[in-house]
Amino acid sequence: MNQFLAFTKKELRESIATFRVYILLAVFLLFGVMGPLLAVATPMLLEMVAVEGSGITITMPDPTAVDAWTQFFSNFSQMGSLALVILFAGIMANEFSRGTLVNLLTKGMRRHTVILSKFISSGLLWTVAIVLSIGVCYIYTAFYFETEPISYFALVFVAPWLFGLFMISLLIFGGTLFSSFGGSLGIGLGVFFALVFANMIPGFERYNPVSLSGGALSLIAGAGTASDLLPAILIGIASIIVLLVGAVIVFNKKKV
Amino acid sequence: MSILTIKNLTKSFGGRKVLDSISFSVPENCVFGFIGANGAGKTTTMKIVLGLLAADSGEIEVCGERVHFGATKTNRLIGYLPDVPEFYNYMRPKEYLKLCGEIKGLGNPTIKERSERLLALVGLSDANRKIGGFSRGMKQRLGMAQALLSEPKLLICDEPTSALDPMGRKDILDILHQIKGKTTVVFSTHILSDVERICDRIAVISDGKIVLENDMSDLNVPHNSKTITFDFANEVDSDEVMQVLTERGFAPTGYETPATSIEDIYLEAIV
Repeated sequence: MNQFLAFTKKELRESIATFRVYILLAVFLLFGVMGPLLAVATPMLLEMVAVEGSGITITMPDPTAVDAWTQFFSNFSQMGSLALVILFAGIMANEFSRGTLVNLLTKGMRRHTVILSKFISSGLLWTVAIVLSIGVCYIYTAFYFETEPISYFALVFVAPWLFGLFMISLLIFGGTLFSSFGGSLGIGLGVFFALVFANMIPGFERYNPVSLSGGALSLIAGAGTASDLLPAILIGIASIIVLLVGAVIVFNKKKV
Repeated sequence: MSILTIKNLTKSFGGRKVLDSISFSVPENCVFGFIGANGAGKTTTMKIVLGLLAADSGEIEVCGERVHFGATKTNRLIGYLPDVPEFYNYMRPKEYLKLCGEIKGLGNPTIKERSERLLALVGLSDANRKIGGFSRGMKQRLGMAQALLSEPKLLICDEPTSALDPMGRKDILDILHQIKGKTTVVFSTHILSDVERICDRIAVISDGKIVLENDMSDLNVPHNSKTITFDFANEVDSDEVMQVLTERGFAPTGYETPATSIEDIYLEAIV
């Protein structure tokens, strides 16, 4: 427990010293603001273009809260995932490529504690970022639009949070396996795009963890039920466990 | 009592035998020089002792306890200074030692007291800036401090002086000299003058085999010799010494007064 707390403190300190925490919060704060803003601005921009262009007027339906969330989740699931990969690709890999773990491991630091601490501390940052992001989006949306209570509110936000944790555990696994930033980045981007493309397979969307990143939209729009997300959530949780256990196994066999 | 015992240790990398059934033991409270050329197998041996690398076969005991790869139980008895110690660049020396102490499970007052004492020992008491800006020599000295933090029974240093300038080398050897007698030290090197300065016992490794293991005192030249070097407490006139020797029937065929070594001159010039 002492080792876990000491190493987790070090991880959080590192996030501040390397500006990771600031970039993470800034990026996701921006997503939160942009969602409602784009929903408001898009019809206006289209109307202006249409009028100036050919004299034809386009009548757009007034934007709604659902449009704001749609904008939010489209940014969040694509740009957000990429930002996560870039920001967290080095957490495990850099320790190996720089050799900074040698001093700590030879002091009896347990290897599984390193993995667990990395996951928990990164997960903590991610939780703060997503709460901030969704909180800001929620407040702005309530400010611009008439909002109706969102059904399955918790689930709508737990799903993308879980996807973020999935990406973090993937990057920890990749970093442990390849010991390099490039390897970790490669496995993060590779798996992400593979899962995005896999969504083209009919029926697979239901089980695909990547659906969690923006798939809760249908719930906000009032279509679908909570059970639609359940398979992807279960597979997401299982993947996180498998990736973390895998990282520990690889690390235990690794020469440092 | 032996602090470290290695028996028939063998390790191959991709078909090349790096260690070929080596055995040696390190008695308590000595400074043990592990000597060999680059690539002779010194670092490999040390990493296996630390459980960072798996051996193909053989046994290692630290203070009577078996060493197992990956399981770092015996490491509680060992302090390790890697050849190029790496730190978190954004930390300051005291923060880093605090992290190390917490991982070791030491209490805060102990960490504070030892950190101050060790930073004084390695001459970094006033270096309260980020480690990222440290020179190689300073990192090596901080590495020494972190290795000694747990007051280990055995200190393992992998080529602690090889990458340093003469001043840095002298600093490290002075530190080793100061802890001599309190901690058993194993240090690998290919710099033989360092060995002469501080070692009590040596093992020489060549092509993965131990080719020599002995106490330094037993390596001395026998009493009957054609060459003898004298050291005097005070300055003497060499002609007078020659005269005395000749009168007693020991007429030397020649003599020389040692030139000051370039190292002495260098150290004198920069201090």
